[in-house]
Amino acid sequence: MKRLICLILAGLLLILPSSACAPKEKTPLVVFAAGSLMKPFSDLEKAFESANPDIDVRAEYHGSIQVMRHVTDLHEDIDLVATADLSLIPQLMYAVNDPDTGKPYADWAIAMASNKLSIAYTPESKYASEINAENWWEVLSRPDVKVGLSDPRFDAVGYRMMMVFALAQKETGQATLFDDFLRDQFQRPVRLIDLGDQQIIRIPELLETTADSRIMMRGSSVALIALLQSGEVDYAFEYDSVIRQHGFERLELPDSLNLGNPDFEADYASVTVRLDFKRFKTVDPVFKGELIRYGLTIPSSAPNPDAATRFIQFLYSEAGQKVMQDNYHPLILPMTVDHPELLPPALQEMTG
Amino acid sequence: MMKEQKLPPGFAIGFSLVILLIVLPLVMTFLSTSASQLALSLSDEQVARSIGLTLSAGAAATCIGLLIGLPAAYLLARFKFRGKAIFESIIDLPLVIPHSAAGIALLLVFGRKGLLGGPLSRLGLVFSDRPAGIVLGMLFVSLPLLINAARDAFAAVAPEIEHSARVDGASPWEVFWKVTLPLAWRGVLSGAITMWARGISEFGAVMILAYSPKIIPVLIFERFQGLGLAAATPITALWIFLILVLFGIVRYLANSIDR
Repeated sequence: MKRLICLILAGLLLILPSSACAPKEKTPLVVFAAGSLMKPFSDLEKAFESANPDIDVRAEYHGSIQVMRHVTDLHEDIDLVATADLSLIPQLMYAVNDPDTGKPYADWAIAMASNKLSIAYTPESKYASEINAENWWEVLSRPDVKVGLSDPRFDAVGYRMMMVFALAQKETGQATLFDDFLRDQFQRPVRLIDLGDQQIIRIPELLETTADSRIMMRGSSVALIALLQSGEVDYAFEYDSVIRQHGFERLELPDSLNLGNPDFEADYASVTVRLDFKRFKTVDPVFKGELIRYGLTIPSSAPNPDAATRFIQFLYSEAGQKVMQDNYHPLILPMTVDHPELLPPALQEMTG
Repeated sequence: MMKEQKLPPGFAIGFSLVILLIVLPLVMTFLSTSASQLALSLSDEQVARSIGLTLSAGAAATCIGLLIGLPAAYLLARFKFRGKAIFESIIDLPLVIPHSAAGIALLLVFGRKGLLGGPLSRLGLVFSDRPAGIVLGMLFVSLPLLINAARDAFAAVAPEIEHSARVDGASPWEVFWKVTLPLAWRGVLSGAITMWARGISEFGAVMILAYSPKIIPVLIFERFQGLGLAAATPITALWIFLILVLFGIVRYLANSIDR
């Protein structure tokens, strides 16, 4: 009996330090953000917590669509949502009501930052010395080149890179450019329907690479970073900011393709990505080609909206702006929001 | 048949809590899905393919495990050698390191540019995002279970029996095959079943080395993350159901051969 009690006591001793480390008086601030915000938001978390010792930031990073699902599908207690695609917030949060309150999950969104798509590689990548802004699609289509893609069904880079290929096909007039890259790579094909002024990309519901595919696909674009570092893939589509944060070699795509230059919005708009979802009706988004804009909102179901408001205030403070700058991911200033009148009062004065 | 006894209440409470802890979540997955959704999952070709892949990769891992694990188990059971305790701890390592860490460690060695993965890929054996990577991940995390079970089973065979076989002129190899293994097979089989069960439920190590083609644990994760709870629950329930049936059969067979 004595030994048993000793054992239990020893067990308690192991548990105690961990519970002592989690101060109970701190307000938790649960942040769900796009994977591409991982670096800047981790830096923000540190700076914000030292300025606000009463708040404990708990951040999780996923593909942007996955971020939404954690709020609207899994009903998790999330205070702040940041996605790599602003348009997902109206599509997946304004349109869905929280069953507990009968209100939509969100009714405003801040256009937080922009970005552009680039191609990441390393000096060891195959044909690293050859690839350039004129031949990248041809290099990526070579049979011995491994390319990392994020899943267009879950991740914004995933559907955006499909758009890049479609735009490149239109711009170069090479009729098989899109197919050359994707042909035989998936068990059910990704199709590009070219209607001249409009291009529609159809993604099958079950998207799986073939047994000997050149493509390695992951749920979010940041999951490709490790694959690039370990040499599993030669090239990966990433946001420009992410590539620079990690110090990879970077192939910049022309502004007409990279979805990052407002002057080309009309061109970007000629592409649409459709998910052929028959069964999983809960997601049925259509992604229109547009300027990359990150979105930020506080869900109506947030347990600690005040802490989230303070985080956004901090993000737009000089210190917060600098963190974003230092991560090559500057904010859109002044704060731009679709429904300023619905913003928390403390944020309204910050809008332009 | 064991005579039913009255259970001491203190122990019975702990016992009921344990059973409840295990059964309640499993039952909930069935209650959260419907028969029609289950049938739909079963007719989903991706799910069907994934089930086949998971079961067969687990079986392949177990076969390789038997091939390399049994000699190791036999050595540990029968021989004294320098550093034996250290080797035994090494064999247990996969049980204590996080499986995501195991996946990374495997990637460094067996990845396309890894220490062994590089040369092997030139010979055509690729692990990353290939079935070979799945088998390797499963093997790594589950092998200790087989080796430990087999070692105990071999150790339980009286050395005198082996000794007399040796005296009668059998080679060590013959003794192992004709004497020790037939006497220890039950423990070895139970170890192999446990290894297979552990292998097919592996997620972390496999996901890092070979996310695709997707085994059931990865597919469940992906559908949960990307398509939501409603999309993930039917496969979860289906898989739990399959495993229960499968292990029921395996256990029954293992017991009935014995009699």
